[in-house]
Amino acid sequence: MGNFSNHQKLLRNALIDPVSVLDYSISEWELLLRLVRRVKLLGHLAIELERRGLSNKIPVRAANQLRSGLIRAKKFQQLARWELDRITWALKGMNIPVVVLKGGAYMLARLPSAEGRFFIDLDIMVPQEQLDQVEACLLKRGWRHREISTYDEHYYRAWSQEIPALIHRERETEVDIHHTIAPVTSRIRLDARLLFDDAITVGSPEYRILCPVDMVLHCSVNLFQNNELADDLRDLLDLHSMLCVFPHEDTQFWEKMISRANQLRLGRPLFYGIWFTRMIFQTPVPEKIENTLNQKPGLFSRWIMNALVPSALLPLHPDYPARFAQFARFLLYLRSHWIRMPFHLLISHLAYKCYLRLRPPSKPMIKK
Amino acid sequence: MRVEQIPAASFFSLLSEEGLRIRLGPFNVRISTNLRHLAEQLHFLYAHYELVEDEITEFHVKIVSKRSIPRPFSASVHFLVDDQEPFPPAPVNQALAILEWGINLAIALRTNHLLLFHSAAVERNGNVLLLPAWPGSGKTTLCTVLAHRGFRLFSDEFGLMDTECDELLPVPRLMSLKNQSIDVIKRYLPEASMGQAIPHTQKGTVAHVRPPQESIEQSAKTAKARWIIFPKWVADSPLRLERLPQSEAFLLLASNSFNYEILGEAAYKAVTRLVKTCHCYKLVYSDFDRVLTALNELTYGG
Amino acid sequence: MFWRSTDFTSLLIEEWEEEFIVFQPTSGKTHFLNKLGMQLLLELDKYHQSAYSEDQICQCLLDRFQLQSAPHFLEQVKKTLRRFEELGLVEQVKRDPVSAR
Repeated sequence: MGNFSNHQKLLRNALIDPVSVLDYSISEWELLLRLVRRVKLLGHLAIELERRGLSNKIPVRAANQLRSGLIRAKKFQQLARWELDRITWALKGMNIPVVVLKGGAYMLARLPSAEGRFFIDLDIMVPQEQLDQVEACLLKRGWRHREISTYDEHYYRAWSQEIPALIHRERETEVDIHHTIAPVTSRIRLDARLLFDDAITVGSPEYRILCPVDMVLHCSVNLFQNNELADDLRDLLDLHSMLCVFPHEDTQFWEKMISRANQLRLGRPLFYGIWFTRMIFQTPVPEKIENTLNQKPGLFSRWIMNALVPSALLPLHPDYPARFAQFARFLLYLRSHWIRMPFHLLISHLAYKCYLRLRPPSKPMIKK
Repeated sequence: MRVEQIPAASFFSLLSEEGLRIRLGPFNVRISTNLRHLAEQLHFLYAHYELVEDEITEFHVKIVSKRSIPRPFSASVHFLVDDQEPFPPAPVNQALAILEWGINLAIALRTNHLLLFHSAAVERNGNVLLLPAWPGSGKTTLCTVLAHRGFRLFSDEFGLMDTECDELLPVPRLMSLKNQSIDVIKRYLPEASMGQAIPHTQKGTVAHVRPPQESIEQSAKTAKARWIIFPKWVADSPLRLERLPQSEAFLLLASNSFNYEILGEAAYKAVTRLVKTCHCYKLVYSDFDRVLTALNELTYGG
Repeated sequence: MFWRSTDFTSLLIEEWEEEFIVFQPTSGKTHFLNKLGMQLLLELDKYHQSAYSEDQICQCLLDRFQLQSAPHFLEQVKKTLRRFEELGLVEQVKRDPVSAR
């Protein structure tokens, strides 16, 4: 399944079977490092090699780059952990259920893909009716809204029904506060109370994470409903990691997975999640299990996604970007907006974003 | 093989085709460009650098000139590292300046296996003198003088410290002088090899000084720090070299590091060891002769 | 209001000329403390599981530095406690486990 170009194979082999890098030539290493950096997996590869005792068996320059990436990833993990500690301190006694999402949740769940995972923002979810209370409390305790344009602020509050990201005045970690796992503007409607009901504790009584099946669904929704998919390989790797680990922890995982997806009407993103982890990472998913989902994508959609998604998830060749891959990325960018918003909103939003591209903000956008 | 051994004619095709791979201390950098004038500047200023053979190159940078929609008649140059553009384009004549800043930025953002100080560093008799300072303190100017007057240049920009063995690693790069210091150095060090002055950059006029050949040749030779001096140039000021309290030295060093926060505990411990094992001073100066006398006394005497 | 230290044993501390440079692994931050700030943390950690009232802490510090009680001293201590709380160096507790002592 899947025709991968040479540079894609180079990256894919290193991620599926890290031992294979021992045979890489100098020029292959060079390319691999650039690709791995692009998809933010330096820390991940560093950990995978460390686990196999191979850190000393690879070229020193490669090892240094990987280690640099790992040190940075670990730093941001520590920052997210601390931010969570400070948030629970700020919300203490208010009796607000906090559910940690995404990178922070994988870290708390000790997923194998989390140890070297690089992520910057802390994502949490609180019940919608308590969103204002949480915002007010954090603002009182030293958090500020990130500076955003009035347009974005309006977009957040009116259409996403969420609040703009918060940052503590003395720290750098951005806190994104959600009240559900699918964008409110998309056509997906789900009852977030079900997510809170089944959330599980990890270590501390102060916060929880989604239960395994919901975590898988959230990751799939993010990838296939929310994102533009460009260079999002890291998120697909999380999905791969979850689909490898969870069935071992719970023999009924797959039955629960399918029935939860059907219950929340998230069959479509899960279908793609299963499809593409299997295609790209050879994830051991029971054969044809995705066919038991309600709301599978039609054959035409599958064919299109099959043609486009790998070109977007896997990075472009840094010296010779393929035209088709760039086009595929553009189409998926349009798709991500299409499915995320009602049509009338989409037109004005894209028009505004397009205007911004032509007239970028005057401040240089350098992000560490 | 060194850059100066490549004939000028084939040097440009190397830069515009597979890219020039050179060794900058512990880092290998591949530079590609389609600009002839930049190739000429690099052929002179990078003359002593060693080419990379049979090794991984970590940094892949490109300078390309493009015409843009808002300004179709004047080309601008873009700096790309792995096809990402970290800062806005600049006028074409500033190509060398943004290449040098771009490489520094890439090193600063990507290197965490070493502790990085924003500091000049020179060596004498196997001991390193670190000169950490904020922009505008005259660090590069002083470093240029020391590098031409008996000290081996480690770097005018980075103090690279391996926290596992406490060795500092040389990364001798072009020293970029700004504004008045260009003429000051021309007068004080007529023998220094300097590129053309580039006016109207973000930091004013800049000109690049080529590191002395011996410093580049010995750039694999590491050493430990022995003196830490926080310099400040103050017009017409008499020379003052004063001991610095250790807690203050710690504060200044930590806040002058690019990645102190990222390295966390390892950085805290490394800076603690530096402050405990080095002699720390504050230096105010205006006159190079006096500075050289004082630093010669310090580095030969101590 | 009662206070105790959090994770004091995890802190790395260097003392130079009566200034304390403290690395806090949980936050990744380096703090610069004077003698009073350091002593405050030490007092709160002395009986690890105990919590102190603000008045008790003040008295400990006054004894320690052999100072006369001054009205603004309590205010200064309170301010320091709030700041340390924000930094995650100390925390407030509701009950009063020291009162038995």
